[in-house]
Amino acid sequence: MSEDKKIIQQFTSGEYKEGFVTDVEQEFIPKGLNEEIVRLISARKEEPEWLLEFRLDALRKWQAMPQPHWAHLDMPEIDFQDIIYFAAPKKDKDRPKEIDPKLAETFDKLGIPLQERDVLAGVVAVDAVFDSVSVTTTFRKTLAEKGIIFCSFSEAVKEHPDLVRKYLASVVPASDNYFAALNSAVFSDGSFCYIPKGVRCPMELSSYFRINAKGTGQFERTLIVADEDSYVSYMEGCTAPMRDEQQLHAAVVEIVVEKGADVKYSTVQNWYPGDADGKGGILNLVTKRGICKGDGSHLSWTQVETGSAITWKYPSTILKGDYSSSEFYSVAVTNNHQQADTGTKMIHLGRGTRSRIVSKGISAGVSQNSYRGLVRMGKNAQNARNYSQCDSLLIGSRCGAHTFPDIQSQNPSATVEHEATTSKISEDQLFYCNQRGIGPEDAVGLIVNGYAREVLSRLPMEFAVEAQKLLQVSLEGSVG
Amino acid sequence: MGHGHYIAPPAGQYQVKAGEKLELQFVVLPGESRDIELGIDLVGPGAEAHIKALYLCRADEKVNFRIVMHHRAAGCKSTQLINGIAGGQAQVHFDGTIVVAPDAQQTEAYQENHNIVLTPEAKVETKPQLEIYADDVKCSHGATVGQLNPDELFYMRSRGIPEAEARMLQMLSFLSPVIPAGREEEMEAAVRSL
Repeated sequence: MSEDKKIIQQFTSGEYKEGFVTDVEQEFIPKGLNEEIVRLISARKEEPEWLLEFRLDALRKWQAMPQPHWAHLDMPEIDFQDIIYFAAPKKDKDRPKEIDPKLAETFDKLGIPLQERDVLAGVVAVDAVFDSVSVTTTFRKTLAEKGIIFCSFSEAVKEHPDLVRKYLASVVPASDNYFAALNSAVFSDGSFCYIPKGVRCPMELSSYFRINAKGTGQFERTLIVADEDSYVSYMEGCTAPMRDEQQLHAAVVEIVVEKGADVKYSTVQNWYPGDADGKGGILNLVTKRGICKGDGSHLSWTQVETGSAITWKYPSTILKGDYSSSEFYSVAVTNNHQQADTGTKMIHLGRGTRSRIVSKGISAGVSQNSYRGLVRMGKNAQNARNYSQCDSLLIGSRCGAHTFPDIQSQNPSATVEHEATTSKISEDQLFYCNQRGIGPEDAVGLIVNGYAREVLSRLPMEFAVEAQKLLQVSLEGSVG
Repeated sequence: MGHGHYIAPPAGQYQVKAGEKLELQFVVLPGESRDIELGIDLVGPGAEAHIKALYLCRADEKVNFRIVMHHRAAGCKSTQLINGIAGGQAQVHFDGTIVVAPDAQQTEAYQENHNIVLTPEAKVETKPQLEIYADDVKCSHGATVGQLNPDELFYMRSRGIPEAEARMLQMLSFLSPVIPAGREEEMEAAVRSL
């Protein structure tokens, strides 16, 4: 047993490889949050009047809201006046068209190619966001040939104002919740993506978010619109340097899926989780929501959550179109002092709508991991169907695993099923593997990967390998 | 209060000590609105608690269950099975939590809540929750909200069983795991009245 404990220890004490800081000259705006700061951000980004109005309106709503405390999280007090809301790497005036080599190097180190060269490494178009600005978006021309718009949010505001204005805040209104209101007031950059009617996006689209500057927060906004009968697979990744202070990340993702369209959204979240004593780390407070607007539309969420000191995130789908469907596949790993409160909402409004939830929580160390979900069957959701499965795996006796589902049905023809289990890696399983020559650490990796397989297999290939490795690293040193 | 077998027990707080066994059974008949609030503390090693409940609604009844099953000691076992049928404009709310304290190892805790909705106006909300702070546990919960299976109905009707009778049989079999011994006939009459 003590041998097991040691192995678990080693297994869960893996290092955070993305914790370096890039030394690049940056511009900041003053600390704090008020109307002037919002006007400053908007002016800095040369935004039109309507967007400034949208921000100011959101700020006023945010100021009137209390911070929510319903989540199963021990949230530190956030001093919103002590955060810098905008930080951008300075552009070299002589060659403004090119990317700062230091930034390119940073993304290279993270394995994100900013040059359009790695054709063999799998074709992925990337929008890379460094603190508050988008550094570059690759493969824009190739995509433009098909009519696909993929660019940073700021560019979209300038080049496609009608589209942005039509869809912005149509899924997540500014007043939706505390952190969505905050984001609406101060959002800096993010990705915008529009897939025209009947177009199948030929490559994976991806956003990569990097927090670098000290004392800042990242507030990006992503808007994806899939027009009728189109298809897109979208991936999101993120990392941050190791610091003693906690940094705030409050993002909003909105997805609009029109009639017959199909969107697949995958996230591998690897923000800095804080050190083994729970010092530092990212507070990841994110609102993600999609709407299956048209008949027969489909939205699939896949997430692998391994990072962040605190995760507060519920990717949700509103199933409005008849016979639309949605899935939510999640693996959430918490170790050391990490806390996660994550899950999904499936709001069934249309006839014959279907949803499926598969959530796998893994807790180790002294972490707390909660699944929170809502399945609502509206009055008109004839023959709607939901199946939810939420499993928790406990590694070590000091962590916690919790399940908080909420099922509401107002339709006699709708069917909802929910089941949840909680268990641990048993000594029998470990013994079985050891007996066949598999070392204890590999055995835990094997068991955890097997446990999470149903979700991992849903990830795009580029992500699946990374996610598997990440699982192993996140749990290093936790067997016991 | 400690061990024993209650039928139609009072709602409230129960404490179950080492080696004791608590069995509770609730029946909510049509026309009855009930708030059933239960707090059960398993405080001694090896304590057991078993809850069974059924409800039948046909008009504008409001049935609320709030159950907190707290495993405070090691080696305790608890089961909960709550099945019910909601018709009319009934509103049913189930809120059940299993809490396993940090030292309550070798816990076994199971909770199930199954609902059948008969009419478009009836409303069911179920919130089965697990809060687990120990690792050597076997815990699960399940909840379903659905309707009578049309295939089963068709099977029985194709064998000459009239629709009303077939539906009654379906509902009875759905409830059978929670029908108290000796009260089968009374339950049959209650189901017929839905």
